[in-house]
Amino acid sequence: MAEEKFDVIVVGGGPAGLSAAFVAAKAGLQVIVLERGDYCGAKNVFGGLFFTNIIRELIPDFLKDAPVERNVTKRRWSLLTQDGELAGGYKFNKFNKDPFNNSFTVLRAKFDKWFASKVEEAGAMVITGAVVDDFIYENGKIKGVKARMEDGELYADLIILADGVNSLLAKKLGLHKELAKEDAIVSVKEILALPKEKIEERFCLNGNEGVAFEYFGYAVKGAIGSGFIYTNKDTISVGIGATIKSLLEHKINPNDALEAFKNHPAILPLIRGTEQKEYSAHLIPDGGYNKISKLYTDNIMVVGDAAGFVNASLFHEGTNLAVMSGKLAGEVAIEAKNKGDFSARTLSLYEEKLRNSFVLKDLKQFRKLAKTLEKNPQIFEKYPKIFEEFVSGLFTVDGEPKWQKEKRLFFELLKKESIFGLIKTAINLRRVIL
Amino acid sequence: MNKFKTIEDKLGLDKFVPSHETHLKIKNEVNGKKVDQKKLVEDVLFICPAKVYTYNEEKKEAIVSFENCLECGTCRVAAPDEVEWEYPKGGFGVTFRFG
Repeated sequence: MAEEKFDVIVVGGGPAGLSAAFVAAKAGLQVIVLERGDYCGAKNVFGGLFFTNIIRELIPDFLKDAPVERNVTKRRWSLLTQDGELAGGYKFNKFNKDPFNNSFTVLRAKFDKWFASKVEEAGAMVITGAVVDDFIYENGKIKGVKARMEDGELYADLIILADGVNSLLAKKLGLHKELAKEDAIVSVKEILALPKEKIEERFCLNGNEGVAFEYFGYAVKGAIGSGFIYTNKDTISVGIGATIKSLLEHKINPNDALEAFKNHPAILPLIRGTEQKEYSAHLIPDGGYNKISKLYTDNIMVVGDAAGFVNASLFHEGTNLAVMSGKLAGEVAIEAKNKGDFSARTLSLYEEKLRNSFVLKDLKQFRKLAKTLEKNPQIFEKYPKIFEEFVSGLFTVDGEPKWQKEKRLFFELLKKESIFGLIKTAINLRRVIL
Repeated sequence: MNKFKTIEDKLGLDKFVPSHETHLKIKNEVNGKKVDQKKLVEDVLFICPAKVYTYNEEKKEAIVSFENCLECGTCRVAAPDEVEWEYPKGGFGVTFRFG
């Protein structure tokens, strides 16, 4: 077979890679996407919230046929204790009409497959079942990739690495160090089936509205992590995630933690009577701003999870950072093609664009998140317990005069933690989660 | 009380196309030192969400049930020196139908 050369090879058919391919192909570049799964989405897992503001820029009428599950009008953040829950949240009716606050629950097997079809419509080739193991070098320069398949040697001026959190390729190039145990969250999730009407009844939803419930505190048996429940059309996504370091220290297996979470008295009634459909696991790069990879080198750009673009603060954003980084890489690919220069000098524009976008601005703002959580283990076990004692005490109906009760509870609380410690933790947390 | 499925039954829900060759290996030696497989499995690789790694006391060796692997990479990060990890061949391994 004659040597085939493309303008752009995208390794990985997730939101980041597909966005890059979409933008570049739309501008007429010859683009090929190599996806290792049977279809785009086959190997992809996330919690469940897809923020669609950037995808809307790419495909303005995406809601016409994109397989979104429910539009999220209701979010809640809870602090779990061993068997209790303190919660706060919102439900806004204005989020129940177009543009639906660009917040949808999504199942990736369906969504990424749909996105791939749009990328093909834009003119790119999408090849599935293609695992890329290495690069092709000529005279010390990267000229293409080697996929584990027949005729798997493919050439291009530009290679966009969108191969996800494990990104063995970025590591091979030395752009990314191995994920540290404290910077990698392992998340496990189940899909639970429940008839549509029952979901709407159980979560108090009108029509296609959905919820996002996030659980902090004692959600992962005291480890540094959190849990979640998202409603899809006729399934519920339930899962937990925690740093590998913390699970190792606490000697907790993620599946055991998920079972404990599902059986928590605040969670069980929400998922009772469902039928289990799928069990999945995935890593989340949690190192934040300080651990993002080198973003480009000659002929190479890194996008999405492969680069470490996840905002793990209260906002829980990953997919829109992926789509944005892909979009920007696609724009830079066009620029490089026009200039006929694919060297690091031209590609540095990619980092510049990222710095001017919310991607690196947000990551920078929350750069201390992972460290702060690690340095404040009290928020995962001790504090939830203290708060529960205070609040449950306050609302216990027992005839004790209120002023006396408040004073007593306050002094009991101070016996367990100093006011200074509480305020310091509150300030530290505020800075990194909101 | 708990009527949820065990990990084995949960993995039975997932769609797998098992390959004949493993894509996960535990090294015998790291930097010239023999790897204590029992200790590695019990102290570190217990973390695998699919419980792929177990230790067989009779055979005195680690069992790697790679056909149950969810391809998350947790073992790779937890034991970067001891675990050799690659993606399964194209078309093999887990295929998420929901994701």
